[in-house]
Amino acid sequence: MSKATSIRDAVSARLPRRHRAERRFQAYGLAAIVMAVIFLAFLVGSIIIQSVPAFTAHRLTLPVMLTEDLVDPRGDRSEASLRRGSYNSAMQAALREQFPGIESRTELRELFGLYSAINSARLLSQVVEDPDLVGQTIEFEFPISDDADLYLKGQTVDERREAGRAPITLTVDGETVTLRGDEPVFAVFSDRLRQAMTQRAEADEAEAARLIATLDRIIDRDEREVTDAQIERAQRRAERLRLQLADASGLQLGPRDPSLLVRAGETVIAIRSISSDGQTAQGEILLPAGLGPRRVSDWVLWEIETPAATRLITDRQIVFTRTLRDRGLVRNGFNTLLFVNADSREPELAGVRGAFVGSILTMVVTMLLAVPIGVGAAIYLEEFAPKNPVTAFIEVNINNLAAVPSIVFGLLGLAVYINIFGLPRSTPLVGGMVLAIMTLPTVIISSRAALKAVPPSIREAALGVGASKTQAVFHHVLPLALPGMLTGSIIGLAQALGETAPLLMIGMVAFVADPPFFGLSGFTEPATVMPVQIFIWSTSAERAFEARTAAAILVLLTLMIVFNAVAIYLRRRYERRW
Amino acid sequence: MQITVIVALALLVLTAIGFLVGRRRATRVASGQPSALHSLPSYYGYYIAIWTGLPALTLLFAYGSFGSSLVNILTMGELEREAAPLIRAYEADLSESPDYQTLNEALGQIETEIEATRNALEQARQARGPVDGYQRDLGELTLDRNDVSDAIENLREQIAFAVAARAPDSVAGHRARAGFEYWRARPDRRDLFIADARAIAFQEGFPSRVTPTLNAAGAAMVPWESLFRWSFAGAALALAVGGLTWARGQVSAGFRARNRVEGVISIVLFATSVIAILTTLGIVLSLVFESIRFFAAIEWRIHEFLFGLQWSPQIGIRADQVGQTGAFGAVPLFAGTALITVIAMCVAVPVGLFSAIYLSEYASPKFRSVAKPVLEILAGVPTVVYGFFALLTVGPFLREFAIFLGYEDAVTQSALSAGLVMGVMIIPFVSSLSDDVINAVPQSLRDGAYAMGATKSEAVRQVVLPAALPGIVGAILLAVSRAIGETMIVVMAAGPGANLTANPLESVTTITVQIVMLITGDQEFSSAKTLSAFALALVLFTLTLLLNIVALRVVERFRERYE
Repeated sequence: MSKATSIRDAVSARLPRRHRAERRFQAYGLAAIVMAVIFLAFLVGSIIIQSVPAFTAHRLTLPVMLTEDLVDPRGDRSEASLRRGSYNSAMQAALREQFPGIESRTELRELFGLYSAINSARLLSQVVEDPDLVGQTIEFEFPISDDADLYLKGQTVDERREAGRAPITLTVDGETVTLRGDEPVFAVFSDRLRQAMTQRAEADEAEAARLIATLDRIIDRDEREVTDAQIERAQRRAERLRLQLADASGLQLGPRDPSLLVRAGETVIAIRSISSDGQTAQGEILLPAGLGPRRVSDWVLWEIETPAATRLITDRQIVFTRTLRDRGLVRNGFNTLLFVNADSREPELAGVRGAFVGSILTMVVTMLLAVPIGVGAAIYLEEFAPKNPVTAFIEVNINNLAAVPSIVFGLLGLAVYINIFGLPRSTPLVGGMVLAIMTLPTVIISSRAALKAVPPSIREAALGVGASKTQAVFHHVLPLALPGMLTGSIIGLAQALGETAPLLMIGMVAFVADPPFFGLSGFTEPATVMPVQIFIWSTSAERAFEARTAAAILVLLTLMIVFNAVAIYLRRRYERRW
Repeated sequence: MQITVIVALALLVLTAIGFLVGRRRATRVASGQPSALHSLPSYYGYYIAIWTGLPALTLLFAYGSFGSSLVNILTMGELEREAAPLIRAYEADLSESPDYQTLNEALGQIETEIEATRNALEQARQARGPVDGYQRDLGELTLDRNDVSDAIENLREQIAFAVAARAPDSVAGHRARAGFEYWRARPDRRDLFIADARAIAFQEGFPSRVTPTLNAAGAAMVPWESLFRWSFAGAALALAVGGLTWARGQVSAGFRARNRVEGVISIVLFATSVIAILTTLGIVLSLVFESIRFFAAIEWRIHEFLFGLQWSPQIGIRADQVGQTGAFGAVPLFAGTALITVIAMCVAVPVGLFSAIYLSEYASPKFRSVAKPVLEILAGVPTVVYGFFALLTVGPFLREFAIFLGYEDAVTQSALSAGLVMGVMIIPFVSSLSDDVINAVPQSLRDGAYAMGATKSEAVRQVVLPAALPGIVGAILLAVSRAIGETMIVVMAAGPGANLTANPLESVTTITVQIVMLITGDQEFSSAKTLSAFALALVLFTLTLLLNIVALRVVERFRERYE
């Protein structure tokens, strides 16, 4: 009796602990699911956020004068003559018109760096289409370079602007301008910069000291050399900063420091040195507009915090861009080029259309091969195949093919389709064939499942009224299994649509500037597909491709969602349960 | 191309006509008594349609696949025959050139020296003596050999140029020159030559260059091409019409048309399922064949490939290596693959398993119907998207975090970021496979546990999971094989550097990354560098195949136990 009570006591004493364990266990399970869902949300969310800048683009609209001697060298308005015209010169002239004072070569190079010369091709086709435009001035709109675009979006350059505190006097001496404020107007900036430089120097010195301390522990000669080099670099950086700070005459600004500009009306001056009292500064004129010695009270101190050495857009280009925008010539709008253009080396001109068409062509080949073959094999294995070693071997094969890494299929395509059969590389035809053999197991397995789901009574009834086996299958079983087969095939195709690795093997990673022809000959022309385009862009150096990659991913995901939605719709619509 | 399409369309029309003819013929033969026929009238139609379309379309397909290469072979054979005088002159000039003799002798000498040094090096290695000197010698000799080969190649080029210049500046001369150029070209240049010639002759894309020889070769192709095109088109049409007439003659009331047609259908169906075997065969043969070429190129040092510690196929000439083949020790790749797989499994197994347990044991049907598809979305996201995410979001974040923790050498492309993201990708595989397995455990086992007073989690931990363990192990093995073969995430997030390290914050490389690097790099198909990709793929294929077979076996055993 007492023993029974003690067991019951022991059990009930343990009970709270066991219940806690129970709750804990359940919480782990829920946490696992929540973690996976959060990750998915994070993945999609981060891609959406990254893609936002790609959907808008800054475009420059210029009145371009199509003078006859520039665009129509022979003067007969014939297409041959128009094609020899120098349209880029016309665009350059239009841009120069905006900045009359810009003369020197370096300045012009920076000015013309605001757009890529390929844009003139569109101007050319516009003129070829309508030769009457020669001699007229047209408003030509084209995308501004990706660096300027990112600058205007505030993504690559940090800057701050504040109104000048007190009037300044400008004295011009050739290229140099001396600015003298009534008060130490530059003191805030130079103090801040000095502070930042001191901090950087201290950090570098600390880094060097830390590395020197580790030096004793390093035995490997190579590693020692690397560390030595690191120490030297850190010391040299610190030394340079200290020297700059110690300069009694004032603060010299180099490309590794933030840029300081002074803007008064249309005039912009880049400051090169600031006196130690922060009252006078010397600078160089970036944008002249009738500059003489004068006194200005309404001016802006414009600090570009990102040093020139770490950005791709120069001070002068920033000034040009901003001026053009202030004049209303640069406008932000929806980036249609992203959807109507094919790939380009210039991010502002790159679009997904080429890859989109390539994907569709490739999918057509995959579908035409994988679906009939897969369905046929499924019918044979499920309905006709006798139980013998050959059939068993085929089944094992199919199961194993489903687990073969996709890249191996790519190598098969390379070795067999391209090197033995001599089919053309990089084309949707070969890509589709490779993806077809990769998708085949998926199609076969899902089609077999669909056939298996048809109850045997259907077959028996058909056979009972005298149908042959083939008739029973094709007239009665197949129509009932078709929706299931279709769903499985579409899911398999969606998988193939997102596949990248095997296509890299057959050379679909090549740069293709023209969208493939959307027709029969497009199948044998070099093309690329959406996932590969994403891969190409993601490995590009230009920062502007980052957002475009994310945008391309969104396009691909949308395409896949459409595929899967169709599959789900078909399943819901035609699914039958017995 | 155009004519082929027209013929194909004509064949389709003929096939349709064949069907109609067959059906009409059958009704006529039955003379108003359809029941007298062996098969339904449309089967006679199908029968004739098959005889009309199938042989002719097969012929047309054969022409489409092999026609152009046949034309190429015939044309180039013709041109090479016309170039015979040039080839003879070239060979005569070569054998008479004293420079050529000397260079060839020098090359032979260097080859023997290399052989001797290599043997000495091997002996020294076996005797564990000093090898540095031999290796240096070998490197220098290899450089010398390359210089001499280059000189020989230059000389050949000069002589060939002089010989070709002797041909007359007429059509025949150009043709002869074209044949000569083709004869001298290396295999890959030959392909380019033919492609360019075809491009010029038939407007198939854009030629990479236009020269008189290419124009001549293109012009020489045209007659052959049109001959074949027309004769094949005629043959296909004749075959179709012949098939139609012959099959029509066969039709009679007792003719077993349905059985014939069904026979063809079952042959076609069988053929489609054989494609699976052909694919496997193709994979195995191409991988094995190219791997053998690779091993031959590295002189059968398979052990060096499998157990070597240094992987640097990109470097052309290394003093400490054999010839100019670079170093092909794949252990860093195996180690990198293993490291990333382990990290991925550390994420995927706990999360996947706990999700599966929760979904199958605890979740309400409503929750399950939402959560399961969401988890499956993770498997549907293209891997290149994961790669992008790992490269631009996870990698930089982990790097900052590591630096924040005081690890200064952190890199963006680390094994950890690739492994973590890959782990997330694999979660649905683990969870849905384990879910199936857990659901397959009979309810009676759970009921037994509850009857003993176990709580739900105790029943799961002590009864369901042990019972499902083989199945779960199988699921994990399948997931491992998936992780090993995954490509894009590691290509983008793990990096190309072959480091042999166990530090997850360093950049490592994997088998799949190297395959991509080797194949997408500059293509020279027969170089050891490119061929090594096939050897790596063979390892990858074998590994995943073994894992897969074992996993399927384990799952099968488990299923049998409870069914």
